[in-house]
Amino acid sequence: MRVHQQPGYVLHTRPYRESSLLVEVFTKDHGRLSLLAKGARQLKSRIRGLLCPFQSLLLSWSGRGELPILTAAEFDQAYAELTGEHRLCGFYVNELLMYLLHRHDPHSRLYDCYRQVVDRLAQSCDYEWSLRIFEKNLLRELGYALNLEYDATTNQAIDPKSSYSYVPEFGAVKVTAGGYNGVIVNGSTLITLHREELADEYAKAECKRLMRVMINRQLGRRVLHSRKLFGGLRVAAAGGAER
Amino acid sequence: MADVYAIEALKKALRRLPGVGPKTARRMAFHLLERDREGAREIAAAINQAVQTVTHCRRCNTLSEAQLCDICASAKRDDALLCVVETPADLESVEQAGVYSGKYFVLMGHISPLDGIGPDDLGIDRLRQLLSNGGIREVIVATNLTVEGEATADYIRQITDTLDVKVTRLARGVPVGGELEYMDHGTLAQAFNDRRSI
Repeated sequence: MRVHQQPGYVLHTRPYRESSLLVEVFTKDHGRLSLLAKGARQLKSRIRGLLCPFQSLLLSWSGRGELPILTAAEFDQAYAELTGEHRLCGFYVNELLMYLLHRHDPHSRLYDCYRQVVDRLAQSCDYEWSLRIFEKNLLRELGYALNLEYDATTNQAIDPKSSYSYVPEFGAVKVTAGGYNGVIVNGSTLITLHREELADEYAKAECKRLMRVMINRQLGRRVLHSRKLFGGLRVAAAGGAER
Repeated sequence: MADVYAIEALKKALRRLPGVGPKTARRMAFHLLERDREGAREIAAAINQAVQTVTHCRRCNTLSEAQLCDICASAKRDDALLCVVETPADLESVEQAGVYSGKYFVLMGHISPLDGIGPDDLGIDRLRQLLSNGGIREVIVATNLTVEGEATADYIRQITDTLDVKVTRLARGVPVGGELEYMDHGTLAQAFNDRRSI
């Protein structure tokens, strides 16, 4: 099979044999897959500088089976570098895709979300909300979509003025109904997340808590190292005394 | 069948080497046993010797036979300069370039969340200690210019924030003898960002 100029991002690379690179990519139409970049670690390699995470690329490859061979790579848009905290967030998003996506499953809507998050991270603007929207869409693609529109017990539309308890794999239930031990969120927050509208600080904080619980359920016992690093970096910045 | 077991064990052991698969391991094993027994003994002895004597330098963390490696023990090297590199191979490259006369610190890797490597798996705590002992004027962060290398550089910058030490990073850009026409956009973009006045 030959694929020509497929939009994609590098998630991770690993040295392979003497001078090659195993490249884990996330592409628009072919989902996540591994490619072999032959000779990419050699000094004269012209693509080594391109095969970096967070760059929007056009990738061409050929071959059947588990490990097709990368035949060409070029930049799709201007070079964008993530720095500092933004880079760590980039690692976080990549780690999620590496852990949770199956190989060769196309997820073109999720690809667009991914692209949006990386763009926002590169522009160093407020990225938190894009991360939440990405997480929400990731869960939907995995078949664990959140039900943010209707009350899970009464099937009535979510009331923006009520407080809800969100129970994973069940849905939102009014706190006043009692008996449910989920994440407490405002109705308005659920609606904002559903419509992907601009959120205020309070809604962002609520969504962060909600999505963390939901994502952790998918991860099971796996630890996200980027998340750990994020915490560690803040401690290190504070002088390392708390270690 | 004890002999077969020994050959299998040898093949399995050889496969631990980077880039050696089952076929190569088989070829190596038969070559050593059929044609070069003397060589096999030499390899075994050399590996044994190295494993027993080589440890980490207690100052710079590089591989060394002595407690203090040659560079750390040298009086000719500038104590106030510290170059942080990822691996002993990187150290050797900088040495061969012949432009640096300070001392080193070798991390033995880089921070890579996707490989599950965090700061605790590297020699970062020892670096922190070395820096807080004082006497170092400038830290040159010479980790690779990959995302992982940059993340590691970031981390080092953060832990040096509270210390009175200048932290610099290797420049990036067009390589010596490079022609712009053949340069990848990333390198060229960074060369523009990091341009200097002449």
